[in-house]
Amino acid sequence: MELSAIMKDKLNAGDNVVALHEGVLLQGWSPKAHRLLALVERNLSFGLFVFTTSRNPPQAFTDLTINFVVPIDSDFKCDIDSLSAESNSDIYINLSARNFKLFMGMDSGHETNHFFNELSRSMDLYLKNQQTLDFQWLKKYNINDIDLELGLMMNINGDNTSNNIITANMAVAENDISFPTGTQTLSSRESVIQRQMILSEEQYTNAQNFRIYIGTWNVNGQPTLSSLNDWLTCDSEPPDIYAIGFQELDLSKEAFLFNDSPREEEWLQAVTKSLNSKGNYKKVSLVRLVGMMLIVFVKNKHMDHVKNVATDTVGTGIMGKLGNKGGVAVRMDFHNTSLCFVNTHLAAHVEEYERRNQDYQNICSRMVFSNFIPPKTVKDHNQVYWFGDLNYRITEMDAISVKDLVRKNNFKNVLEADQLKQQHRAGNVFKGYKEGSINFLPTYKYDPGTNDWDSSEKNRAPAWCDRILWRGNSIKQLAYRSHPNLLISDHKPVSALFESEVRVVDLTKYRKIHEHIMKKLDKAENEYLPQVMVDNTEIIFHNVKFMEPQLKELTVANTGQVPVQFEFIKKLDDSTYCKEWLRIEPFMSFIDPGEKCDITLEVLIDKKSAYKMISGQDKLYDILVLHLDGGKDIFITVTGNYERSCFGCSLETLCYLKVPIKNIPFGKLMELENNKSNMTSDPYPVPKEVWYLVDHLYRHGLKQEHLFEHSGLRSEFVQIRNWLDNGTPDALPGSVHSVAEALLILLDSTSEPIIPYNLHATCLSAVSYYSQCKQIISQLPERSKNVFLYLCAFLQELLNHVNDNKLDVKTIASVFGEIFIRDPPRSRSDKSGHTRTSMSRKKTNFVYHFLVNDQSDLIINTSF
Amino acid sequence: MRRATDASLPTFGTMSSKASESKMSSSQYSYIFKYIIVGDMGVGKSCLLHQFTEQKFTADCPHTIGVEFGTRIIEVSGKKIKLQIWDTAGQERFRAVTRSYYRGAAGALMVYDITRRSSYNHLSSWLSDTRNLTNPGTVIYLIGNKLDMESNRDVSYEEAKQFADENGLMFLEASAKTGEYVEDAFLKTAQIIYECIQDGRLDLNAADSGVQQKILQCETNPNVEKDKSCMQC
Ligand SMILES: Nc1nc2c(ncn2[C@@H]2O[C@H](COP(=O)(O)OP(=O)(O)OP(=O)(O)O)[C@@H](O)[C@H]2O)c(=O)[nH]1
Ligand SMILES: [Mg+2]
Repeated sequence: MELSAIMKDKLNAGDNVVALHEGVLLQGWSPKAHRLLALVERNLSFGLFVFTTSRNPPQAFTDLTINFVVPIDSDFKCDIDSLSAESNSDIYINLSARNFKLFMGMDSGHETNHFFNELSRSMDLYLKNQQTLDFQWLKKYNINDIDLELGLMMNINGDNTSNNIITANMAVAENDISFPTGTQTLSSRESVIQRQMILSEEQYTNAQNFRIYIGTWNVNGQPTLSSLNDWLTCDSEPPDIYAIGFQELDLSKEAFLFNDSPREEEWLQAVTKSLNSKGNYKKVSLVRLVGMMLIVFVKNKHMDHVKNVATDTVGTGIMGKLGNKGGVAVRMDFHNTSLCFVNTHLAAHVEEYERRNQDYQNICSRMVFSNFIPPKTVKDHNQVYWFGDLNYRITEMDAISVKDLVRKNNFKNVLEADQLKQQHRAGNVFKGYKEGSINFLPTYKYDPGTNDWDSSEKNRAPAWCDRILWRGNSIKQLAYRSHPNLLISDHKPVSALFESEVRVVDLTKYRKIHEHIMKKLDKAENEYLPQVMVDNTEIIFHNVKFMEPQLKELTVANTGQVPVQFEFIKKLDDSTYCKEWLRIEPFMSFIDPGEKCDITLEVLIDKKSAYKMISGQDKLYDILVLHLDGGKDIFITVTGNYERSCFGCSLETLCYLKVPIKNIPFGKLMELENNKSNMTSDPYPVPKEVWYLVDHLYRHGLKQEHLFEHSGLRSEFVQIRNWLDNGTPDALPGSVHSVAEALLILLDSTSEPIIPYNLHATCLSAVSYYSQCKQIISQLPERSKNVFLYLCAFLQELLNHVNDNKLDVKTIASVFGEIFIRDPPRSRSDKSGHTRTSMSRKKTNFVYHFLVNDQSDLIINTSF
Repeated sequence: MRRATDASLPTFGTMSSKASESKMSSSQYSYIFKYIIVGDMGVGKSCLLHQFTEQKFTADCPHTIGVEFGTRIIEVSGKKIKLQIWDTAGQERFRAVTRSYYRGAAGALMVYDITRRSSYNHLSSWLSDTRNLTNPGTVIYLIGNKLDMESNRDVSYEEAKQFADENGLMFLEASAKTGEYVEDAFLKTAQIIYECIQDGRLDLNAADSGVQQKILQCETNPNVEKDKSCMQC
């Protein structure tokens, strides 16, 4: 059926459709919701009808809803304005009447012209005949004005549309309230413009191709070579950007424990010398964590277009502390495109691909460039190049077949068994990343100094440990290869060359678009107020458990006419916008009219907050203030219950618990934590939880390589926690690495460390003298002393097996030093890298004494 | 019965809600006054605000979960003043959070419901918050709302008037439903603030005076320097 015929069905008899046209509500400037306009006549008087359609195109009159009816009378005004000179661009229409404003966009063309000719004719007719006209017929229509998009506009009267300057005193420091007024509007306006500029980027930038060279090499701790030309200058044309990553740059204990390395400078020199001599390069950034180093160079002539350079590092060793594995990254804006280079060294060992996947996830979530507001993560970049010793192996094929196939250049069959290819395909890792096809020999493992496969007795299948992946549009890989002539390491270097499209700003176009956006903004700012709907203002988290994150979603819908910027803001006297155990993502964002934004709230009770929950210092309760820039605030209440766990209890309390913590009432626990309980029974000398974990390690872990260096698996930690908290007759679950980590977490989650905070400084100044150290230990509270000596005795036993477990006393001392002599909470952030290094050394030395000396004199009074 | 307590106040300039004013641009007012509305939940704070800014009454107005605001431009002694009104959530559980919003208010409207004695009994606690969290110059107006429900009255005019006098508050009874005396409360508050400015009792330079003086001609040409700042984004 014709639209005008459907319309006729909708209207009362005798009312005639004169003209019909469709437009989009111009909510600010993001065209979204369609509305149908109809000019209707009865006895020479005219009315303008606004319809929403539930089906497009409408099939029957029931598909139409009347949102508004306005008489074409003296109050009716219509302004048409085309913002740009080009003839085929959009037309903007501003309709207004009593209590009614409508701002719409239509494409210019014959139909639009016709509609507006009719509209102006009806306005003329009104002027001619106004004495005799009667608009009563318009009142007979049922109007459904619960139109979210339109609702606001109808209620607007003069005052509310005028420029709104809101000084939200909250969260604005006293001296920030500046005069003259308008500063706040200006700043929000600024961010709207910025965002609009980003959205219309295509219109003021041109695509230009640049060559990006990525290199990666695990150098196995070897000293540098005099020339790296074979690797870095293998292309005749010099690239625009170099990003070069190393792993195992330095395997010394110094580097491992204190992140000090003379190798950094040596390799930087070697790399700088070996860059393509046909180009002049400047170093943009160098970042290193233990043996992982990343250097980025850009051609001199491009340096002006490199902005906002930032770096971050993530260690994924045990408890996410040690930097023996992990990643380093450099991000930058190059012209108008954001680039991120990530160099990683993922978990080793043939069968451990799950741990490698976990390391990848960890790096994704913990690599944060925090000097941006909001902070940027790896995924927030137009282009990401991710490379390094990813350590994925060949498992489903024996070494002999692999060697045989690759010798015949038959890589395809071997790659079928490549863990990275398999995990990538299964979507378990590197989602959204691509990798080029591999036409080079496996890069690991060789006998150093040769091109021969590793001849040690292990006889492992060679593998492509060293890889380069990328993510982003318009990136073309020109080459992907290894460089077998560099012989010093058991790995071969790998490199890739890309031709990547970067957006380059055209200044003339930029200015024009900028002005265009400003004009639209002026208009919108004066007309509309921000308005949102939140689907839930009371978020409840049930049965939150220690170290198990829980997520809840919240949807904020922009039901107003203008883009909304929202942000969670601080309450008076608070230093953060939410409690430490809550994470809000995003905590600030933009929403276009008609659009929604999902906000994720994540509750995680970890070692920083668990003891507060147990002792009643804090509870799962917070009120969040969601602030709309230039608008109202909405309170969101977060509540929930926390399931008690031994993690977070003091050692003192645990010693009094003879049954699993599940069976202890919360009130009793709180009394114990606050020393308000008069327990009659004798306490255990050490907590049974500590005993269970240590005993398990004693029985199954003494010969385990890298005990206390490798991180455990999250899933196993959860099982171990449940086992300790619930108490079951089954054996303690999980691998020894996970048990070891659980032990460290248990000790690290108490409110006071073994060496209480008030002895922290004394302890660090005593490290040179074993006798003083012993003195400190002998003064510790009974239970802390017991646990300390018990663990030292266990560690000594562990170190009796170094032939099997390859452990090193300094490493163990360093790991336990951080745990025993935990830094007071507030001091952690404000120490410089140097002080922190010297503190780590002291802590290591402190524990070292107790691992190499006999403690029987201290133990004498203590019986286990 | 005459509700407004201070009959000697002069009458005010006409208000500017007429359609002809709608084209008024932001630079045409001289001051911005910040108000807050506080009081127990359900006493009618949001309804008072809507009645004042939109001349309408919503019978089943939802609880305010947060802080909403409205604005209206009025005229006092020939000067245009923009009122920026913050309507707070009255529910007890939000009390700690809404305390953040008092600072910098030039006027505070403290509302109770004349048909609900408990809302009146809590006034002393609202008053101590208001006194503690605003500055000494803040004008506090006590409003007994729901005047249209005379038959259910639970707090007499005289009793509340005495409370107001003892604590040095302005006082009137009003109805957000009928609109009776609603304008008076908002406008008289502005009138007093304005007088305080005139005779120097309110220091405009104090950061939390709650008054901003509009300085005309503060528009800069936004195209000139902003180009630069945007280039880096
Ligand atoms: N009869 C009558 N009812 C009123 C009046 N003012 C408000 N109400 C009703 O009282 C109820 C509560 O009014 P609100 O304005 O939402 O109360 P509030 O103080 O904002 O409450 P919170 O937002 O929870 O702090 C609504 O159902 C209103 O319809 C009035 O003057 N007369
Ligand atoms: Mg309310």
